Amino acid sequence: MTPPTKTQNSPTSAVPRREDEGLLRILVVPGEGAGSATLLQNLRQWAEDGRLRLETAPDLPRAVRQLAASTWDVVLAVLGDRPDEDLSWWVDTLRAAAGGPRLIAAAQAPSMGLVLRAEQSGVLDVLSLPVRRDELMQALGRLRAVASEAAIPLPVVEPEVVGPYALVGQSPAMLDVYKQLARVAGSAATVLVQGESGTGKEVVARAIHMHGPKAAGGFVAVNCAAIPENLLESELFGHEKGAFTGAVTRKIGRFEQAASGTLFLDEIADMSLALQAKILRAVQEREIERVGGTGTIPVDVRLIAATNRDLKEAIKQGRFREDLYYRLAVITIRLPKLADRGDDLLLLTAYFVQVYAERYRKTIHAVSDRALDLLRGHAWVGNVRELRNVIERAVIVASDDTLRAEYLPDELRGEAAALADRPQGAPLTLAEMEARHIARVLAQTGGQIGAAAEILGIHRNTLTRKMKEYGL
Amino acid sequence: MTGPPPVRVEKALALLPELEALDPLRALLVSIARPDAHALWSSSGPYLTLGKRGVQPDELRRRMPQAFHRITGHLQALYREYVDALECQQAADPAGVVGALLRGGRLEERVARFTQARAWYAVALAVAEALQDRRPEVETLRAIGYVCMALGQYAEAARHFQRSLALAEAEFDQGGATGACEGLADAALAQGQWSGAHAWYSRGLRLAEAADDAVRAGRLQCQLGVVARHQGDLSAAGEFLREARERLESAGVADEMARVLNEQGRLDAQLGRHDAASAAYREALAWAQRTPGDAGDELSIRLNLAELDLDAGRLVEAEAELRRAEQVAIGGDLMLRLAQVYVLMGRLRGAQEDETGFVFFEQAIELATALDRSAATRAHVFFEYGLFRNRLGQRDEARAYLEQARELFASLGETAERERADAELRALTA
Repeated sequence: MTPPTKTQNSPTSAVPRREDEGLLRILVVPGEGAGSATLLQNLRQWAEDGRLRLETAPDLPRAVRQLAASTWDVVLAVLGDRPDEDLSWWVDTLRAAAGGPRLIAAAQAPSMGLVLRAEQSGVLDVLSLPVRRDELMQALGRLRAVASEAAIPLPVVEPEVVGPYALVGQSPAMLDVYKQLARVAGSAATVLVQGESGTGKEVVARAIHMHGPKAAGGFVAVNCAAIPENLLESELFGHEKGAFTGAVTRKIGRFEQAASGTLFLDEIADMSLALQAKILRAVQEREIERVGGTGTIPVDVRLIAATNRDLKEAIKQGRFREDLYYRLAVITIRLPKLADRGDDLLLLTAYFVQVYAERYRKTIHAVSDRALDLLRGHAWVGNVRELRNVIERAVIVASDDTLRAEYLPDELRGEAAALADRPQGAPLTLAEMEARHIARVLAQTGGQIGAAAEILGIHRNTLTRKMKEYGL
Repeated sequence: MTGPPPVRVEKALALLPELEALDPLRALLVSIARPDAHALWSSSGPYLTLGKRGVQPDELRRRMPQAFHRITGHLQALYREYVDALECQQAADPAGVVGALLRGGRLEERVARFTQARAWYAVALAVAEALQDRRPEVETLRAIGYVCMALGQYAEAARHFQRSLALAEAEFDQGGATGACEGLADAALAQGQWSGAHAWYSRGLRLAEAADDAVRAGRLQCQLGVVARHQGDLSAAGEFLREARERLESAGVADEMARVLNEQGRLDAQLGRHDAASAAYREALAWAQRTPGDAGDELSIRLNLAELDLDAGRLVEAEAELRRAEQVAIGGDLMLRLAQVYVLMGRLRGAQEDETGFVFFEQAIELATALDRSAATRAHVFFEYGLFRNRLGQRDEARAYLEQARELFASLGETAERERADAELRALTA
């Protein structure tokens, strides 16, 4: 791999602009509190020797106008009586602002919950009122440090194209998958693809279809979890006109649409037991019946099913039919998590940059060392799908030829802020560590207390108490 | 350590009888529903709708006191207004009686109980009609007009506004007359009668200016801007909005500023000035932030922002904005408006030629049917669903939905929308 090279800063990025020789443009929104005049007075004094250029806006609406009129490096906003709400408005506002200015929020005695939420939203820092010079300069110093990001050239990836998708990866875990794929593709056997969300189950299903005996036929995918239960049956088997309210015309179902081809049933575990019985019958008898129809229709399809759940566990819980499981799992392919794919992360990043740079007419050849560190350090709960989304958004906002840390979503930058941006000599207290960890796990579980408690290994009541204690 | 999986909202709602007494429970259930952590990154994640969110019964049980608090708070406020009315009655102050009854109705309107609000206004009207001073009757008739509009009864609303105007003019009640003109204009606007709306707003504006009522004048100018935009006179619309903005900003009325900037965004969008539109919407959002408690304006602005992104082909941004709008609607108890969010999500999938996008329209229909007492939302959902089906080449289904939309628009008297549905049907046949 080519050694890292220094790159130029983007003219519209949030890092200090060279033409201003490190001068930071700060928009100050001091609020209407008693200390606003003192804050402004202090800031003007500090600006003289701190390479800062200050302008002020009286409130959020006027700040929005100023943000639209020119670009800023930092917005220093004083949060009001409802700091959480104010913070989320500021984050939302700056997300859309040109040049991606960073936010420094100041609040009266900020709670730990507020600080954590701010970190997760990519806020540069939360300062306590009255603002102290050293704390402000420390935060601005972190921003200046970003200017030293180095660029790493992205490798050129030649993917195995699979319809609208592609298979990318050279890790041992993926090589195993390719071998299994080669073994099953030649037959018309039913295949069950298992793997966490976002690991590429549909891509693998398409690859099996494309290299299989039914490649000349169509590939029809149905997402069983996306379609409401009351509509799934007619979606799969079709319906006759007038079969139920809303059946305004005859509908040909997906089984029939996939005739002589492959029917891919994604997220099969989300299907009701009643519908599982009908699928079983279709698989066994090779015939279906339209909803409201009177006769049976023969179907000749290859079936590939996929799930992100543990079907054996679902069988134990009585949520999935055992007989259907054995019908579907004639051959099982398990897909690895992104975290288990090593350097595939860089290849996938390069591939997605290629795809989206072309789509959004951008030229991006490199990723910065800091951005790559953030990507490598992320948990990737959503696996390749999450990475794809992150890269797409980054490419959209990128304004130069390097994918920089500042183009990554707030959540990724926030994770780093919680760890790396801590000033030296100020270790976290045990309570801070605990609060941060809880906040991160809650973010991972989408706020679900039960799931978070399981990951943390504590009772949900204990977790609820701790959340209250830390203001989460 | 973990309990059983959450119950899906679609199943939870199916178990809840359609009783008004259970509305607060329904609202609580929806507001605490969260997407399943597994679903967020799964392939069904992009299709996640309210029905697919999950709810934990024990969390609902723990949060029930919140619902009880809201119910008792609402009832206490209503009972207090009634007792106020009784005290005014005792003090031989019939205008006070009407005022208290109107306040009761407004409390009901605030929680979208329009039929109940109308019942309060009906009692107020009976009292007001017997008074020598006709101003309370003017106000009551206007209140009934607006509640009729909320129920989609535009012709009935116009009748009440007309009566209110006649009485106000006879009484030289300038404020009452201005309000009645505004009501008549709003009713005309809702039915797509642009020239009628223009005439009534203009008349109201003259009265408001004569009375030096800057806020109302600003609001009426904003509405004249809306009408001018619909009529295609975009430069006049721009001028109305500029004047409205000047008036409202100096008056410092945050919610009206949010509305006028939202309208400015729509105008800029129609003119193809996407950056200007986006800036206007962003500023509108900033003003909306200053009016906490009413998420309706924020939701409208976010929907417009999403539509702007959608029209510009910025689908990633559109989706992110729609997910924010969805959260605002769910958190702000704006279930009726959630259907609008899903219609746009469906349209977004249509733009990607993604057939599974039909799930959003189905969810919107379900919401509109279960929660919306007026047919207007259903009509708009059917219309957009028809366009979606047509885009995917499903002409028979497209025709069926467009016909249903046309029928509903016609029954509501929404002329402009009915004509749009007609035009789409003609294009489908051609």
